[in-house]
Amino acid sequence: MSLSSQQWLDKIHALPLRKPVKIMNVCGGHERAITLSGLRTALPKLIELIPGPGCPVCICPEEDIYAAIQLAMQDKVILVAFGDMLRVPVNVAKHDIRSLEQAKAAGADIRPIASPLEALKIAAQNPTREVVFFAAGFETTTAPVAALLAQGVPENLFILLSGRLTYPAVAMLLDSEDAGFNALVAPGHVSAVMGSDEWKFVVEKHQIPAAVAGFTAESLLAATYSVLRQLLEEKYFLDNCYPQVVSGTGNHTAQQYLQETMQVVDAPWRGVGVIPQSGFQLRNTQQDARLHFTDYASVARKRAGEMPAGCDCAKVVLGKLYPNQCKLYGTACTPRSPVGPCMVSDEGACRIWWAGGLRNE
Amino acid sequence: MCLGIPMQIVEIDNFMARCQAKGVERDVSLFMLQHETIAVGDFVMVHVGYAIQKMSEQEALSTWELFDEILSLEDAALQATPQ
Repeated sequence: MSLSSQQWLDKIHALPLRKPVKIMNVCGGHERAITLSGLRTALPKLIELIPGPGCPVCICPEEDIYAAIQLAMQDKVILVAFGDMLRVPVNVAKHDIRSLEQAKAAGADIRPIASPLEALKIAAQNPTREVVFFAAGFETTTAPVAALLAQGVPENLFILLSGRLTYPAVAMLLDSEDAGFNALVAPGHVSAVMGSDEWKFVVEKHQIPAAVAGFTAESLLAATYSVLRQLLEEKYFLDNCYPQVVSGTGNHTAQQYLQETMQVVDAPWRGVGVIPQSGFQLRNTQQDARLHFTDYASVARKRAGEMPAGCDCAKVVLGKLYPNQCKLYGTACTPRSPVGPCMVSDEGACRIWWAGGLRNE
Repeated sequence: MCLGIPMQIVEIDNFMARCQAKGVERDVSLFMLQHETIAVGDFVMVHVGYAIQKMSEQEALSTWELFDEILSLEDAALQATPQ
């Protein structure tokens, strides 16, 4: 029989922990469940739960959002994007259009969607228009985009792809001198698609305990208990605490479509820089919005690609700083008027902490 | 956007399925589950309109419970946000 949250907490409190442990998660869904179920305060003080690079909106290149805005401002274009992307501000001069939301208010035909299937429908319903699907996301979102392409799309649908892989960011942190964590809770749904084996390098190459978790408090606590025991016993393995949905090799069909329609390339992460082999690029150039639309100028801008001035999102994304340690958190930057992407997205650590009632330190 | 939602299949038409979660119905693509045998009544984990894995009823129900909790907490906190 599976244990309840309280039983898991009791087991964790009974562990003979002596040293501080920093456990990173790399999934906005995990961070939401942790924050809103109050896990941090329920765990022993030696345990720190750190939100890491788990928000695709937060690391989506500023240049890509800027490009999406420029494309959306063209009369012939309908731009569709996941709703989260609309409010992310880019770095432009004061009176210029700084988000897709502002572009929409200025008359651009921008439609928020919740599924790639809606992009398909909009393209089919508007055969005389050019529809650009601004597709940002991690593997869980990019695989459906790949499936959409594999199934066949109308000629007037173009993809502005900002797909990213999750594990290369963790690999980059672990390869750096100061990774900032000594245990990992691996993302449940990324693993459902790509397979949990993808995270074995954490254990095998870096001798860091890791466990895949689902999204209930029980599953997250089971994963927390697993990595703590691994640390105490100094026996490291990749534990799967979400076997109901995750297998070692993942969803083969999804992976096949990713492979058929996209290749993995070096790619920039906002505020972080280029991470090797961390981005998806379309194989079919006909559908690639970047190649089809050559008439939107990529003008030189100040702070292109960077986080907004004064915003610590880049450090928050990498788990170097907690949201409420940023000086804009809750002052200049709130969910109602966000400055950085981490306060915009439902998966951004700042927005999650704010929604969880955590205020400035 | 990457929040997965467990849904139960109500109707299947080729690669498309009508699915429901707590009374809300949506069209969901089964295109990425071609390797699975899928039937009406099955539970699937849905991401941006695509089923990514089959799952058990028990797992689906406990995830729904969690979402109810999260949504009510978030609503309360966001409403408390100063103007």
